[in-house]
Amino acid sequence: MLWITALYRSRIRGYIKRYDACIHTIHSVLVIIDKMFFHLIRTAGVVSLPNSIWDNCVSYLQGELPAQQFNTWIRPLRTESGDDDSSLILIAPNRFVLDWVNDKYKERIQDIINEQAQVSGEKKSVEIVAAARGASAFQADTRNPAPESNRADSNFTPSSAPDTDNNGNGGSIDSPRPDTVSSGPERGQTDTQPIPDNFDIPAIGDSRHGGRANNSFSNSGNSMSQLSVGKGFGSSNDISLSEHADSTNFDSANRRGGNRGNSRVSKTDVEGGLEHKSNLNSSFTFDNFVVGKSNQLGLAAATQVAENPGGSYNPLFIYGGVGLGKTHLMHAVGNALSEKIVDSKIVYLHSERFVADMVKALQLNAINDFKRYYRSVNALLIDDIQFFAGKERSQEEFFHTFNALLEGGQQIIVTSDRYPKEIDGLEERLKSRFGWGLTVAIEPPELETRVAILKRKADQASVYLPNDAAFFIAQRIRSNVRELEGALKRVIANSHFTNREISVELVRESLKDLLALQDRLVSIDNIQRIVAEYYKIKISDLHSKRRSRSVARPRQVAMYLAKDLTHHSLPEIGEVFGGRDHTTVLHACRKIKELLESDADIREDVKNLLRTLTT
Amino acid sequence: MKDDNQPVQLSLGISLKDEATFENFYAGSNEGNVQVVNELKRIATQGTVTPPAEHMVIYGRRGCGLTHLLQAFCRLAHLSGGCAQYLPMRDLRGYSAAELCQGMEHMSLVCVDAFELLAGDDEWEQALFHLYNNLRDLGHTLVIASHTAPAALPIGLADLKSRVLGSVIYSVSALDDDDKQVALITRAKARGMQLPEEVARYIITRASRDTNVLFDLLDRLDDASLQQQKKLTVPFVKDVLSF
Repeated sequence: MLWITALYRSRIRGYIKRYDACIHTIHSVLVIIDKMFFHLIRTAGVVSLPNSIWDNCVSYLQGELPAQQFNTWIRPLRTESGDDDSSLILIAPNRFVLDWVNDKYKERIQDIINEQAQVSGEKKSVEIVAAARGASAFQADTRNPAPESNRADSNFTPSSAPDTDNNGNGGSIDSPRPDTVSSGPERGQTDTQPIPDNFDIPAIGDSRHGGRANNSFSNSGNSMSQLSVGKGFGSSNDISLSEHADSTNFDSANRRGGNRGNSRVSKTDVEGGLEHKSNLNSSFTFDNFVVGKSNQLGLAAATQVAENPGGSYNPLFIYGGVGLGKTHLMHAVGNALSEKIVDSKIVYLHSERFVADMVKALQLNAINDFKRYYRSVNALLIDDIQFFAGKERSQEEFFHTFNALLEGGQQIIVTSDRYPKEIDGLEERLKSRFGWGLTVAIEPPELETRVAILKRKADQASVYLPNDAAFFIAQRIRSNVRELEGALKRVIANSHFTNREISVELVRESLKDLLALQDRLVSIDNIQRIVAEYYKIKISDLHSKRRSRSVARPRQVAMYLAKDLTHHSLPEIGEVFGGRDHTTVLHACRKIKELLESDADIREDVKNLLRTLTT
Repeated sequence: MKDDNQPVQLSLGISLKDEATFENFYAGSNEGNVQVVNELKRIATQGTVTPPAEHMVIYGRRGCGLTHLLQAFCRLAHLSGGCAQYLPMRDLRGYSAAELCQGMEHMSLVCVDAFELLAGDDEWEQALFHLYNNLRDLGHTLVIASHTAPAALPIGLADLKSRVLGSVIYSVSALDDDDKQVALITRAKARGMQLPEEVARYIITRASRDTNVLFDLLDRLDDASLQQQKKLTVPFVKDVLSF
């Protein structure tokens, strides 16, 4: 209570002076005080924790700021106590938010904290930092451990995260480490090898490593022959550094991915201080890839690569329109290789991530780590290579990585939305290299394949999808598989919500939202024009004083539509229909509403006009 | 009419803010709207879309309550221990898309409001495409709100378009005038104001029927009624709102 009194003293004093304020003002204040009590009770007992100080501060800011600002800038901030307990550290999601909050809100936040300090005696200075993301896979180098990254991620992972463990997927993702540190007798010896501080292996996979035939895909044995990175499948010679166990991978939140059935396998493999994070999506397998005429070539090539990685289909270049399954095939190969070969180092990433990693590496002066990371994989799967366009430095680096991997017999798979030669802004030498292996196209699926895909997806979701309903969806969504799946998900959601079996009728209702082009506001001018055209009268007739049925009825219909399709006030609508009163508009709307019940012609007219106006 | 020179008693700066919640979102009798509310609540508390999907799109006419829903969503997510970031494009589209989106994938839930303003903007489309992928890779969820139907959005980047259209899409229906009247009364009540039905009807038949505008009118009425210490009656409303 003391706390409240101190902080709201001035306002409460204001209240006493204005005791004659009307009842609902007092009611308002009571509700606020009520909320504050609730807040106080909620935080009682933990007042010394920074969170409660921050929570209190948040309550103030919530009352002071418009909701949109509050949700954009304040709500996403997370807290942490400073080392000396005299500072309150707020963590912003990124630098942009950090700068914004520093600029616009920091002063006020400090004021509120100071006000609270007068009561609690806990003086804290506010410091705002951006969440530090390790942000780069290649940065597993523990010479520069990044505890901040860990800290930030744990803050940005919701406390509800444990729910991911409930379905049994989440846990498995988090446990690659035992594999990587467990070692046979030979490995034990290796582990004891001193690692030089400047452990760095330049030009891995360059021609000097050309003789690594026994490390390439053809070798699935477990020979441990040399202390080197960049070996092919089957090499078990991992240099495990104990302190690496704590090295942070930037997206620890990845662990949550397990709860939605398309878990990312975050398999890592420590080698020479490198953790190879595969990013493979375990739900993309060959088994659940639905084959049809449009994609059978792609599937055949991918299967071949999975059986004989690093062979003649290297690189495998898969291209085609969006949402057709290129990424699915790529992951399927990766998953198959992961299963087939122990300790494989397979890395999937979107080309944008490669670029981002490289930029980061250049900023941190860690380009060698970057090179080492990407040149020491067994298979590199790069998605949407067209996003390399115009990024010359990334292309250059990728070119060398590409050569190194190819020479080392490691598999490369690349996808793009178009044929290599047609990618604008891509270096010729890269385009030509993409053609060295096998280039396959994936076409949009034909109707039967679309139906088969829907049936398979419904099966996976344990939902019965009748044939006619599947055909109904497949006939309407023709463009790509992603949209097809989105549509099916919407149908299933609707089926769950309404507790109805899937039928053509249910599909029709569900897809109305997806297929709709309407729901756009239209202008009254447009309504008047379309109505006049429809009834073959002049627009000026709608404005005129004439009351003959041939003009009055269309006018009423137009007013009804204006009320239905615009936000204009009724007086405004009356005004643009020849300066009529808003009661005339109300009357017109009531009249048409009645006629819609009783008059089939009017019903038809309104339906036609609505269709014309909203599509 | 008031004399301009007469001192005006200012209302206190602590009028009850009716924070947007799911409870005070008036869905009317529309089953579709109820479904949207249910789904958003579920995502906010559990973090995932059902059936397993990646992202969600809600769309509807201006004034149908998309912003309200996203605000309520962020609020509930935080109360549930999640971490939601709200990105209103009305305010942010002029800024650097890449800088704004950088690292946002680490938030468990990201809401993009007024998405239609970004369609056709290359820089924003690319940034959102990458954000979309990065969120998906981390198992996080993106909720997009648009005043234009997704199929009609002029998205230039095909990769983004197919992802938007491949999301689970819900439409939010605008309230009809009768429902708006109820919504107005309910909203007024939440602010501690008594708004009689006839006064609400009076407002609806004279003001813009955009709910944003209608709710803003409540602010003016709230202030005026505090200052003049008068109840909300038709003559009072007529005077304040100059109908």
